[in-house]
Amino acid sequence: MSPERDRRAHGRIPPEALAELRASVRALRDELEQRFGVRDSGPTGDEPGDEPGESVELEPPAPEPDERSLGPPPARASLFEQLRTGVRARLEEIDVVKLYESLRERIAIPGAGDISAEVDDFGLDLRYLARARRWLDWLYDSWWRVELAGHEGIPDAPRVLFVANSAGILPWDALMIAHAIERTHPGHGRPRALVADWIATLPFSHSRLARLGAVRACAENAERLLAQNHWVIAFPEGQKGALKPFRERYRLQRFARGGFVSLAVRLRAALVPVAVIGSEEVHPILFEPRILRRLLGIPVPVTPTFPWLGPLGVVPLPSRWRIRFGEPIWFDTVPMERAGDPLYVNRTREQVRGAIQNLLEEELPRRRSVFA
Amino acid sequence: MAARREPELARRGLAITGLGTFTGARVAERLLESDAAPRVVALDLRLPRRLEGRVRFHRVDLTEPTADSLVAEILEKEGCEALLHAAFFTDPNPDLELSHELEVVGALHVMNAAAAAGLRKLVVASTAQVYGPHPDNPGYLSEAHPLRPQRDAHALRDRAEMEGLLRIFAQRHRAMCVTSLRPAWVLGPSLESSLTRRFEASRVITLMGYDPLLQFLHEDDWIDAVELALERDAPGAWNLAGEGVLPLSTLLRLAGKSILPLPHPLLYRLTHLESLARTGDPPAAFYDHLRFGWLVDTRRAREELGFEPLYSSQEAWMSFVVARRLRGYR
Repeated sequence: MSPERDRRAHGRIPPEALAELRASVRALRDELEQRFGVRDSGPTGDEPGDEPGESVELEPPAPEPDERSLGPPPARASLFEQLRTGVRARLEEIDVVKLYESLRERIAIPGAGDISAEVDDFGLDLRYLARARRWLDWLYDSWWRVELAGHEGIPDAPRVLFVANSAGILPWDALMIAHAIERTHPGHGRPRALVADWIATLPFSHSRLARLGAVRACAENAERLLAQNHWVIAFPEGQKGALKPFRERYRLQRFARGGFVSLAVRLRAALVPVAVIGSEEVHPILFEPRILRRLLGIPVPVTPTFPWLGPLGVVPLPSRWRIRFGEPIWFDTVPMERAGDPLYVNRTREQVRGAIQNLLEEELPRRRSVFA
Repeated sequence: MAARREPELARRGLAITGLGTFTGARVAERLLESDAAPRVVALDLRLPRRLEGRVRFHRVDLTEPTADSLVAEILEKEGCEALLHAAFFTDPNPDLELSHELEVVGALHVMNAAAAAGLRKLVVASTAQVYGPHPDNPGYLSEAHPLRPQRDAHALRDRAEMEGLLRIFAQRHRAMCVTSLRPAWVLGPSLESSLTRRFEASRVITLMGYDPLLQFLHEDDWIDAVELALERDAPGAWNLAGEGVLPLSTLLRLAGKSILPLPHPLLYRLTHLESLARTGDPPAAFYDHLRFGWLVDTRRAREELGFEPLYSSQEAWMSFVVARRLRGYR
């Protein structure tokens, strides 16, 4: 059972149980009164705050005669009493145990309050994703104002492999394509994006991306995901695509070895070419100094903002995006042996690359401006 | 738990090297308690007290140059049919030469003795750490994946070398069933190792920005797996791990431990001092396992060996945590 469900079950008491509890408390109090003649004069005389809709304005308990002679005039006393009971009732509404638990959880490991005790094989954390959805929605709707085209053509098959152009250093495009697919085809779970190798070695980003469903791009991982009937998004350009300089934007780099083709043939997955317009302007790469890569072991691209503005340079530019899904390519009739035929794989790979390049060429002249 | 499987063939005689290790001692105890208890022949430097009088003990030092003929002689005399090789250091030993002598040369002695005595079966208790933590590992490592142990971890490098020798040995002696078991990190209520000592601390050092997925094998499941490998013919290497994976941060949170995240360049430098003091493996060898993934694919063991671990990774971890808490660790 997920802890979330668990907690929700704890927090809500069924109304009939509440009524029963209340009745038994009342009976006990009556008994107490009869036996010892004690009058329980607590401010919670009738459990004011328990009922969610009930107002906390309740009749103040009858003031004692001797008190009246000493204290302030009766009208003010009742107002004061009213306030006091009101505040106390409000305080009692707070579930102290729950508050303590959530505080303890947060203080024990800072920032760990939003992770769940269950992840899938590749570390997708549904609770983390649910929390991040707000931000993803905001990026999708307001920051990049993503438009979709051709998403009606995505087949309703158990195994679909999306192949897209990649750009923009950090895998923003992977996040947005996954988000778009999940929104339009909610029945298939979160599509899993394959991200470049070097992201996996990058501290901070990888652990977060993995929780959002990103997986390191390699043949074994893609095969395992597709075999488990996940939808998978691949970027065959790889690192070359993510780090291509600005002047080469929207020009597809070479597609690595075409492993995605043999995978689709072997696992009978539908292949959907995807063209993303706008993603190639979020981090316009001027150049990528080789010396820094050799020194640090990871590529350090230079953009108009990146090393200069420090962490601010990581903020992606708000270009307007358009994601166009192409016609699906089916491999159901292709004989299995073709998966191991390098000539066939190569040819199909170039066909897919051509399809994506065509989609890009069709879409690019249509946009009036990068940002508007 | 031993009763849940009927032994398929009555074991004539089983030799166990490294009876003093957790694996050796537990397997011996489990087999002696079972209905069809085999004759257990123990080869080690000393005999654990609780097994006194229950096994046939021979004092053998596997690091001696002539250990192979001695072991072969014992195996023949006792009429052994199978051998479990568990004589490995539980923790990385500071004496690199001794470690190499035992882990590689000792294992080679055992292999040669097994061949000379004409054993039917050889089971070796290895570890999944021989695959090594690497950023370019696939999410799940299959048995066919090349062994690339962490390069500073001399103990694991020795183990991988031993695995290589074992593979060549298996190719040469096709009549013998040669099994190598590669469990993920074994945890449980009673096992003590350098790993458990690191996780016993109330504050665990982690690498800032890295949160790898981890998997564990419960100690009982590990003993089950060894027993299963001894019962059935399971040639080749076998990955073993509990069901499911969890990120390190979640594991530590479940255990209620606080974490001390340090940037990895700093940690690797700082802990070099610690390693000089303790003279084991340099900590980079350990902390890389908390940096990059090295999960193993257990499909083969499940489907072909029929190994179903009773504990998931999370349950193994929790049983370890709860047992330690009862002993007063936080």
